[in-house]
Amino acid sequence: MSVYETQGFKLDNSGKRVVVDPVTRIEGHMRVEVNLNDKNVITNAVSTGTMWRGLEVILKGRDPRDAWAFTERICGVCTGTHALTSVRAVEDALGIRIPENANSIRNIMQLNLQVHDHLVHFYHLHALDWVDVVSALKADPKATSELAQSISSWPLSSPGYFRDIQTRLKKFVESGQLGPFMNGYWGNPAYLLPPEANLMAVAHYLEALDFQKEIVKIHTIYGGKNPHPNWLVGGVPCAINVHDTGAVGAVNMERLNLVSSIIDRTIEFIDQVYIPDLLAIASFYKGWLHGGGLSGKSVMSYGDIPDKANDHSAKNLMLPRGAIINGDLSKVHEVDMRDPEQIQEFVTHSWFSYEDETKGLHPWDGVTEPNYQLGKNAKGSNTNIEQIDEAAKYSWIKAPRWRGHAMEVGPLARYIIGYAQNNPEFKEPVDMVLKKLDVPVTALFSTLGRTAARGLEASWAAHKMRYFQDKLMANIKAGDLSTANIDKWEPRTWPKEAKGVGFTEAPRGALGHWVRIKDGKIDNYQCVVPTTWNGSPRDPKGQIGAFEASLMNTPLARADQPLEILRTLHSFDPCLACSTH
Amino acid sequence: MSMQKMEAVYVYEAPLRLWHWVNALSITVLALTGYFIASPLPTQPGEASANFLMGYIRFAHFTAAYVFAIGFAARIYWAFAGNHHARQLFLLPVFNPQWWREVWFESRWYLFLEREPRKYVGHNPLAQLFMFVFVTWGSIFMIFTGFALYAEGEGRDGWHDNLFGWVIPLFGQSQDVHSWHHLGMWWILSFVIIHIYVAIREDIMSRQSIVSTMISGYRMFKDERK
Amino acid sequence: MSGIETFYDVMRRQGISRRSFLKFCSLTAAALGLEPAYAGKIAQAMETRPRTPVLWLHGLECTCCSESFIRSAHPLAKDVVLSMISLDYDDTIMTAAGHQAEAILDEITTKYKGNYILAVEGNPPLNQDGMSCIIGGKPFVEQLKRVAKDCKAIISWGSCASWGCVQAARPNPTQATPVHKVILDKPIIKVPGCPPIAEVMTAVITYMLTFDRIPELDRQGRPKMFYGQRIHDKCYRRPHFDAGQFVEEWDDEGARKGYCLYKVGCKGPTTYNACSTTRWNGGVSFPIQSGHGCIGCSEDGFWDKGSFYDRLTTVRPFGIEGNADQIGGTVAGVVGAAAAAHAAVSAIKRARHRNEEKSEEK
Ligand code: HEM
Ligand code: HEM
Ligand code: NFV
Ligand code: SF4
Ligand code: SF4
Ligand code: F3S
Ligand SMILES: [Mg+2]
Repeated sequence: MSVYETQGFKLDNSGKRVVVDPVTRIEGHMRVEVNLNDKNVITNAVSTGTMWRGLEVILKGRDPRDAWAFTERICGVCTGTHALTSVRAVEDALGIRIPENANSIRNIMQLNLQVHDHLVHFYHLHALDWVDVVSALKADPKATSELAQSISSWPLSSPGYFRDIQTRLKKFVESGQLGPFMNGYWGNPAYLLPPEANLMAVAHYLEALDFQKEIVKIHTIYGGKNPHPNWLVGGVPCAINVHDTGAVGAVNMERLNLVSSIIDRTIEFIDQVYIPDLLAIASFYKGWLHGGGLSGKSVMSYGDIPDKANDHSAKNLMLPRGAIINGDLSKVHEVDMRDPEQIQEFVTHSWFSYEDETKGLHPWDGVTEPNYQLGKNAKGSNTNIEQIDEAAKYSWIKAPRWRGHAMEVGPLARYIIGYAQNNPEFKEPVDMVLKKLDVPVTALFSTLGRTAARGLEASWAAHKMRYFQDKLMANIKAGDLSTANIDKWEPRTWPKEAKGVGFTEAPRGALGHWVRIKDGKIDNYQCVVPTTWNGSPRDPKGQIGAFEASLMNTPLARADQPLEILRTLHSFDPCLACSTH
Repeated sequence: MSMQKMEAVYVYEAPLRLWHWVNALSITVLALTGYFIASPLPTQPGEASANFLMGYIRFAHFTAAYVFAIGFAARIYWAFAGNHHARQLFLLPVFNPQWWREVWFESRWYLFLEREPRKYVGHNPLAQLFMFVFVTWGSIFMIFTGFALYAEGEGRDGWHDNLFGWVIPLFGQSQDVHSWHHLGMWWILSFVIIHIYVAIREDIMSRQSIVSTMISGYRMFKDERK
Repeated sequence: MSGIETFYDVMRRQGISRRSFLKFCSLTAAALGLEPAYAGKIAQAMETRPRTPVLWLHGLECTCCSESFIRSAHPLAKDVVLSMISLDYDDTIMTAAGHQAEAILDEITTKYKGNYILAVEGNPPLNQDGMSCIIGGKPFVEQLKRVAKDCKAIISWGSCASWGCVQAARPNPTQATPVHKVILDKPIIKVPGCPPIAEVMTAVITYMLTFDRIPELDRQGRPKMFYGQRIHDKCYRRPHFDAGQFVEEWDDEGARKGYCLYKVGCKGPTTYNACSTTRWNGGVSFPIQSGHGCIGCSEDGFWDKGSFYDRLTTVRPFGIEGNADQIGGTVAGVVGAAAAAHAAVSAIKRARHRNEEKSEEK
């Protein structure tokens, strides 16, 4: 038993221990354990990344030009973002400059991922934390239609439409084969939506499932497929030919039109379905403002979406860069990914070993050496964990820190930083939402705030795709067809040794890859990933990570149903394959 | 096998000689076309439909491959039908200590450790060993890997696939078979370099006819010592 | 098992009339080359069978096979999940978590013993006591074996389950192991690809449900219907290959005209998959159409064959590493040099020998 304070939280692991393993509706494998006091309020939280593949080990000795394909397979949910980060890291190391068109296409692909990933997360991974599917059976289709029409002009909203959905749902439930909805927490008092809102959400769950596959076709056009489109060090692999013979074999007018029409339909769906649903659901939950965790204290983003090619300085990036610590929104700190004192990873509580585990390592000097073991107070055995000992090593996730601070990253972090920087693109939509829901700005620092920021960002990204597609067209019109720079394609043109860093704002937050190249081969490759930040275990000082912090002080309606735990964890959109890689 | 007599001996019968030169020719074509299959010539101008360069190169490869493979099969037949020299390519007298001693002797001869070369009616034992390892097994290897690759193009249910398709998973996957088939080329070419060099050298330095033997079939000896 | 919806119920509910249902059955029979009498049997099977439960387990993976699956346009993923199968366990989308989730496995494996399909995405690691992939506190390999025990058949989704994929690339630090090397006593259908094409995934499932049989597999356990030919066999750039017209460098004239990508490393000639015909994401494109070579993502061990941009890829005969021309060319070069040196020494020796003979004569 221990009690201590960190980051303003009082951790007490003396109460009843509740284990959730596997945590579902996330990417990959994760376990969480919490202690509850006699009022079923969480007093201690322990999150464990329960998978590891060793990509950093596997990358050693490989051709740096291939690295994007390996790192892309870190995750199929945020597909492409690791690949983009990787080609940027290699280009940074080798001093390769990419053509404007390649920059626009890459941005469109990255924004496309943001939209898609956020949409799928909201409806298919997160919605069931707010929406009671079984309650939808009790809804009045006519009232549902009225609700839908009151919040959006989306055409699929007739009483008949909702009645059909309800009938299908009813038959499905009556079949007795509940499939993915089996053993759900239906009827739990933490579900607050009226039946009509539930039915509308179920309808959109299905619609979004159908529509999401359209969004990604932009990846297919520029990258050949989705998931896991193709990338290229020095640019993009798809050549442009709009004027000449043979254009049918390249990105031509028909392809550009197809991209354009998908962008339009995407904007429509996000703005007419996702955003109204989000606001409608939020309006019923605005009294449930748990789960803030680190968001009101320490948040960080690297920035992304370079407007002009090859300029990665903060002023050229459309997503903000900076760090806020100790909740001081008046100061946004500069973040430097190259500074050995800023970003460091610790492994005291992770299943890895360092020579000196009291110190952190900057990723350029990072080490990945597995070391699976349980603490002496763990219950069960090495291959049958009943209870984790958080005083010892307990997760496959490393513990990254910025200047020693545990940070939250992600859409909410980006919106808070953009807000603090008074950037109207982020401030205005946030203020709009706060006003609509009639809540103070502090309401942002919550599970709900995280979920809302994600939706706003999806809309932002959808509109920015339009910006870059137009920019691409304008550049083509100005006569520039170039998509790749091959000056330094051949390894013989490279220096004997080089190092570089690539970064993006992945859907789940700040992502960085650090590479060292020696004799044309990868000498060291380290990834610090959004979910590495958010899912971080404790560090030598006992500081907890964002997941753990967010669960603190949350009451459970039913101690044997982890609905609120899932709700808050899902608000981060955890990706465990990413976090441990 | 050392010889003492000195008159001309009929060693290589006509079918064997014919095979030798057809085989040499087919391998030349196979190596050349194979190389350009792997590292194609610069891009051709014009419409695709007006060009067929890769197509022709591959066609030449496959035609030569059939010649090569059928020739090899015929050569196996000749091992039964022909004289005992015809069997040397397929049977090593590995249990004969005398043969090994001669391999040893020939090795010393090529390392300049023996002053006087010996005479042989058929292949010298070292040459026989080399041919067995490089040509006999090399050909089998190239035929199996080559036809396995060919079967991929012929389709999954044809006779090529039935006979040779199993080779692909044996190596892992198709790409591995390509690489090994390609390495096989260098294996055989390494032999050819040594073989041609030695044939010419022996013609000059040894005490019997060599190159002309593969043309006329007769072994002539240049002196009467044993 | 009353109260459980059958395939027929599902179709009826979708607004399909009895007449068109029976027509569907006879078309199915015809497509299979069966006598018309079989149509009745198919109809009967569909009328009486509940939806087949599918338990979808996840090991070491990137979840992109799931992502691909939900992109299916025909049938829609929604219809597969709600109407064709009963996806009772899939940690990526299921509502329940923790012990409520684990309880489902016990229930289904008992209730549908021998009648459920096990779908596996990812693979089990065997190093670190199997604990580099933990589910419910235990190694994933235990869950896999437990669920495999009473299943009807296993579908190995993607290159991870089929071959090992990226985590099994050298040096495979977790000893990630494909499913068929851990489960030896069940029929396994490999559907490789990183990820596989969505419509190929749903087609494999619907084939099994419709025809109630396992698709015909090739030597390596892949359905012949989708993995019987190479990308190259049906690639629309093939005329440029045959003509000898290649992309020589990125973004060159050949690239803008859509020439063959062979010289920049396309693995289409050695890759069995349906990409060049079925294409991706509703037929919009596929890797080659968008200008990048195939990287061979459905082939065994494709990560360890050298760079994706080299035509001649790395081999490791006897521990030496290089491509066939580097290794073979070096050997041949050394042999040639040795022959030349040998010739030189021979000439010198011969000259000296002559001199000796001459001096002896004197
Ligand atoms: C001495 C004999 C042979 C030599 C030196 C030879 C050489 C080669 C080489 C260097 C390649 C390119 C390999 C690569 O890197 O992809 C090749 C490809 C090939 N060879 Fe051979 N080969 C021989 C015999 C055969 C035989 C007997 C066949 C049987 C039909 C055959 C069929 C093929 C096929 C199908 C290919 C692949 C063609 C393609 O990918 O378009 N080869 N060969
Ligand atoms: C691709 C090229 C060649 C290959 C694969 C090859 C292979 C062989 C083989 C397998 C034999 C043994 C015949 C048997 O026992 O059935 C042989 C013998 C012979 N080859 Fe070649 N050969 C090639 C080219 C040449 C050339 C260019 C010459 C002439 C300079 C030559 C001269 C000879 C001679 C003289 C013999 C008889 C050796 C002896 O009497 O022991 N070969 N060759
Ligand atoms: N965490 C994470 Fe990712 C994201 N977004 C990667 O960088 O999800 Ni798979
Ligand atoms: S096969 Fe490829 S796409 Fe599928 S889970 Fe594995 S790494 Fe991801
Ligand atoms: S692009 Fe690839 S698959 Fe297509 S013809 Fe060329 S080598 Fe074959
Ligand atoms: S890389 Fe994979 S997606 Fe198809 S074209 Fe090649 S098999
Ligand atoms: Mg890392």
